[in-house]
Amino acid sequence: MTTRAFPARRVVSPAMRAARRRENIAAYLFMAPSLVFFLGFVIFPMGMCLVTSFFNYTMTDFSWIGLANYVEMFQDAIFGKALVNTIVIVLVSVPVTCMFSLWVASLIYKMRDRHTSFFRCVFYLPVVTGSVAVTVVWKWIFNNYYGVLNYVFKNLGLITRNINWLGNPDYALACIITILLTTSVGQPIVLYVSALSNVDHSLIEAASVDGATNMQVFWKIKWPQVMPTTLYILVITTINSFQCFALIQLLTSGGPNNSTQTIMYYIYYNAFKLSRYGYGSAMGIILAIIIAVFSAIQFRLAKTDNG
Amino acid sequence: MKKLIALFLCLILALPAFALADDQVEITLWTYPIGSWGNAETVDGIIKDFNAVHPEIKVTVQYLDYQSGDDQVTTAIEAKTTPDIIMEGPERLVANWGAAGKMLDISDLWADTKDDIIAASAAVEAACKNAEGVYYEYPLCMTTHCMVINYNDFEKAGALQYIDEEKHTWTTEGFLNALDALNAAGFAPTAVVYCGGQGGDQGTRALVTNLYSGQFTAPDHSAYTMDSEANIKALQLLQQLVKDGKLDADAGIVAGDEIALFCNSTISIGFCWNASAAVSNKASLAEDVKVFPMAFPSDDGVPELQGGIWGFGLFDNGDEAKVAAAKTFVKWVCDDPAQAAKSVYASGFFPTRASLGDIYAGTDKAENGEYAIFMPYLGDYYQVTPNWAAQRTEWWNLLQRIFAGGDVAAEVAVYCQNANQK
Repeated sequence: MTTRAFPARRVVSPAMRAARRRENIAAYLFMAPSLVFFLGFVIFPMGMCLVTSFFNYTMTDFSWIGLANYVEMFQDAIFGKALVNTIVIVLVSVPVTCMFSLWVASLIYKMRDRHTSFFRCVFYLPVVTGSVAVTVVWKWIFNNYYGVLNYVFKNLGLITRNINWLGNPDYALACIITILLTTSVGQPIVLYVSALSNVDHSLIEAASVDGATNMQVFWKIKWPQVMPTTLYILVITTINSFQCFALIQLLTSGGPNNSTQTIMYYIYYNAFKLSRYGYGSAMGIILAIIIAVFSAIQFRLAKTDNG
Repeated sequence: MKKLIALFLCLILALPAFALADDQVEITLWTYPIGSWGNAETVDGIIKDFNAVHPEIKVTVQYLDYQSGDDQVTTAIEAKTTPDIIMEGPERLVANWGAAGKMLDISDLWADTKDDIIAASAAVEAACKNAEGVYYEYPLCMTTHCMVINYNDFEKAGALQYIDEEKHTWTTEGFLNALDALNAAGFAPTAVVYCGGQGGDQGTRALVTNLYSGQFTAPDHSAYTMDSEANIKALQLLQQLVKDGKLDADAGIVAGDEIALFCNSTISIGFCWNASAAVSNKASLAEDVKVFPMAFPSDDGVPELQGGIWGFGLFDNGDEAKVAAAKTFVKWVCDDPAQAAKSVYASGFFPTRASLGDIYAGTDKAENGEYAIFMPYLGDYYQVTPNWAAQRTEWWNLLQRIFAGGDVAAEVAVYCQNANQK
């Protein structure tokens, strides 16, 4: 039987207390600049968003309407469509981004440094290129009349006549998700390459000596060790997918027939095109709640002992 | 000594600021890309000339585009950082920001020019004020939006017989015959009814309303009237033409893309064109494209074209000195005897003052003058109808639903219900 020894209560002298207070003050002062920014540009706008969601806030009116914006939102068929589209985008793009990034990273991290850097650059290029430039290129690729995709598919015999990729409700959302994937995989690949490079090689060698297959090494050794990175990528990709906006604005304006309408674009449309700031804020609050719930689930499911 | 030198240098640097504070009034102008009014070189030249006469006013310019310009203005209104002057048309200056009480009453600017403007077009004067007669826009230029055909394609297809080459008009029947002739001659796609967004929607609106002489709104601009028999018939006709493959509809493109298709000879007919577009797209025309502007086809051969009226509005920023300076600038740009014609010339459109006459004769833009042929067909300026911004989105969504096979009458009913929602 062991007995737990409780530490004796330490007596803190006034001088130590003063030193500790000085340390605390210094710490808060160092933190102050970022704290001011965080409060001013994150917390305050969030609070304002919550407050205005209870008002009929337009260019000419600012009157209290309680939960009316929320009631209207859940009766709004376009919001419903936007919600479904957004969730489809998230459910498709997040797993695909994670799996594709992990696959690419696991292929390139073992290469020579020069080759690894080359591939990292290639996959990261769409991220730094900027969404407008990327979108213009994709718009050209998907063009109904002289687009590269139709040209290639026709020459391969996959299609007999041009497909209006962005103008057809059957294809438009898939096109948006495809473009989103190209702009989303860059950062996860870089992170996975780094995480995989940091996996303890002695464990891998030991497992191999013990006769573990490549798959066993991956699932039993590497996967647990890259789990914190995976969790980060899941959360970031989920948030980015939920906030998909620029592609929609530049390519489809939510059409055709609202088939690419997303919550972010619908918020923008209501707030900036119709000047319905209150209604837009209410949708923003719901979007924030949905993202928080998704992120919480991901944290829960991907929770590990070390991360 | 070093400190003294530093202080001296600081004072020298600060002097212009003091001088500016004492002598100059600084005003800001935001302008949408109305012809060369979106071009910094042109606008800088205008301001330079203005400063030669009025050195006491400094004008700072910000250029807006139609993709994000409205968002910037909306943000500025809420942040109370609006410019002193903004250049655009009545649908924004009068029906949107004016109706919301954000613009200044500039009736005083009209005092000595009202008759001249009415002599050019009574519709312009009517569009620049609200129902109570308060003027929120001081107009500079105007145009009629038209469509365009590739003359060479029409000639090869034997379709020139269906157009009135002298008046640049055609009937609905002539339009249908021309489509048949073009298709038979292998010029497919003939044209594209674009509906991927609101860009250039004046073209598709004019196409629909002219086919059977319908009206887009009630005469008093109190409601949208797409549910009239004539308009429904026109939409049904277009739907059938698309189904028959005589015409394309594309929910993936807007007017800018359609103009590109016309310029690179992919299509033979474009529904979004005007004098300014003729100039700005000149360099991008394919070799076999010969631009021939046309009015929209109508059952009686008498089109009713949608107008564009551009001018200046003043935001109410509560500074009397800035308001006075802004009015001086606007008045100089629009009415100065040496400048007015140059200001209109920069837009590529036509003067809203009868006294200016033909400003393009003998200039590099002489061909712009040819578009004056459409001015007599200038129709009702209905863009000041309430709920305009929401209506624009409803419009291209309506076209998308119809060309996806929706029942025209039912879809129009949905459109009217949403667009007329107060």
